[in-house]
Amino acid sequence: MPTRRGVRTAFAAAASLAVLAPLAWFWASSLVPGAYSVTDLGYADHGGGPAHHAGVSVPVDALVPPAGAAPDVSVVLTAEQGPFTLPSGRRVEGYSVNGSSPGPVIEAEQGQLVEVRLVNESVGDGVTLHWHGVDVPGGMDGVAGVTQNAVAVGEEFTYRFYADRAGTYWYHSHQVAHEQVRGGLFGALVVAPAAEARPVEVDALAVVHLFPGGRTVNGLDEDTAVAAAPGDRVRVRVVNTDAGPMQTWVEGAPFRLAAVDGTDLAGPEEVEDVSVTVTAGGRADLEFTVPEGGARVGLGGADLLFGDAPDEPGPVPAAILDPLHYGTAPPAPALSAEDADRVFEYAIGRRPGFLDGRPGLWWTVNGGLYPDVPMYTVAEGDLVVMRIANGSGEVHPMHLHGHHALVLSRDGVAATGSPWWIDSLNVADDEEYEIAFTADNPGIWMDHCHNLSHVLEGLSAHLMYEGVSTPFTVGGDHGNHLE
Amino acid sequence: MRLTYRILAFVIAAEVAIQAAVMVYAVAGLGIWVQEGGVLDKAVMESDEFAFPEVVGFMLHGMNGMMVIPVIALLLLIASFFAKVPRGVVFALIVAALVALQIFLGIFGHEAAFFGMLHGLNALVLFSVAVWTGVRARRPAAEPSAAQDAYA
Repeated sequence: MPTRRGVRTAFAAAASLAVLAPLAWFWASSLVPGAYSVTDLGYADHGGGPAHHAGVSVPVDALVPPAGAAPDVSVVLTAEQGPFTLPSGRRVEGYSVNGSSPGPVIEAEQGQLVEVRLVNESVGDGVTLHWHGVDVPGGMDGVAGVTQNAVAVGEEFTYRFYADRAGTYWYHSHQVAHEQVRGGLFGALVVAPAAEARPVEVDALAVVHLFPGGRTVNGLDEDTAVAAAPGDRVRVRVVNTDAGPMQTWVEGAPFRLAAVDGTDLAGPEEVEDVSVTVTAGGRADLEFTVPEGGARVGLGGADLLFGDAPDEPGPVPAAILDPLHYGTAPPAPALSAEDADRVFEYAIGRRPGFLDGRPGLWWTVNGGLYPDVPMYTVAEGDLVVMRIANGSGEVHPMHLHGHHALVLSRDGVAATGSPWWIDSLNVADDEEYEIAFTADNPGIWMDHCHNLSHVLEGLSAHLMYEGVSTPFTVGGDHGNHLE
Repeated sequence: MRLTYRILAFVIAAEVAIQAAVMVYAVAGLGIWVQEGGVLDKAVMESDEFAFPEVVGFMLHGMNGMMVIPVIALLLLIASFFAKVPRGVVFALIVAALVALQIFLGIFGHEAAFFGMLHGLNALVLFSVAVWTGVRARRPAAEPSAAQDAYA
């Protein structure tokens, strides 16, 4: 005969089990294998197009420029982990390229073959280089666990690609990137056009990054004077290497937003008292003529000063330039949603749950927690439309590798300005963008949030071409992390 | 188990007090940093770097609120099944519900500040209920009513 005490304990144990068992089940079912191929997890989303045919596939690392050609630009980049000195003289702990951060500016002319030998001197987790905004061949994308293995200490990897589009780009690690990029493992890549449409006298870079203690521009903590005389035409290439959007603007002179994400805008008109949003990972080129009183390019921390600009910054402009309606529209859009071969939804949400066993509040893609996310499948030549809808409560800088996409509309309002090509798109909460791109670059391409911590929190998917496979795994012996 | 139950309830109350303290610490640090010329925008907010040292307050608030307190609330609930506290389970459930509500108000506060206001008020409710949950569990109740009430 069970005692009252026994019954009571049994009840209590059963109640505890009823609370803990579902939690344990959710926990266990969220666990991701120690090593996996990105092509094996998640589910295929064909976007209304045909499914892939099974058959012969090309490994992604075979998608490289033809061997043999001599590079026009040849650079060695050595990655190190540990304390280093910023150009400002400040010592910081982090990751450096050739002894400092930002790493060297790689300069090329449109059409040149660029070769970069990456040497890992001392980065314990391994390192890669991703060419942010450059539509490199699939094997050169630098994503650890997808297009290559992380380069371990003492090893090296050579990247080769044609710089076929002029513009402002950057490179950064894509291995444990939330830490390595934050810590300084990045630099700028500037591709000069074969023929300059609007030549400028001064071409300046503003690589913006928050190091501990404050935001820096080109590694400098203070406002920096750039040599320029009144009347000089200036192009400032702003690169946002941080995790959230920033504003930039010109004080003292009207300016044009000349380019976004490396692509020149058509017919950019002069504007004043507005700021331009540069999303995380994004670039914006501003153009202006230095007036008698000088001009200041506001970057929200250390600024760039041209000519005889006043020492004290004015207020940040209240208005924000909207690229959706800026510049001159072409007679007919380059890409149209009506011609789409595949239409994908990329809906970003947020809910509590377990992500690889970690309890928390995580981002979702189309309702699923990573790795229960879509693999967007395409075939070469497809016109792809993607609808990125953000209902997650926070802004997400969405970055598609290997392609430039044309913004078609936002919240149902069609783009009426210059063609607005992006590789990094600021999708604010409650916004929905429709973008289109041509699947013209075979490979396996990450399509993720460039707030790199968000990748760890599940906000990552990928685009997969028919007939392309990857021999690499996330995790495993090389400790590959795809962010 | 009754003692465990009481300790867990008081720990939740203490955690709520810590949450309030670290939050104001961080906001005060932010104000001073801006006063000294620091510029706060989304890029700075999203960086894990310590733009100013008091940022640690925001991080502690987030980790405490999203991880530590929910786990303690869960442990309190489990302890309530074993502790012979009259209506102890009910109070543990109320605490757990208030914790859940607090998390959601905190998250929604990022979208609409009104929820942030409710988040502040709900903190006081949670604090009070957690204290009362601990205080009222002080005396061992007489058998057998306690055993029955515990599952009420």
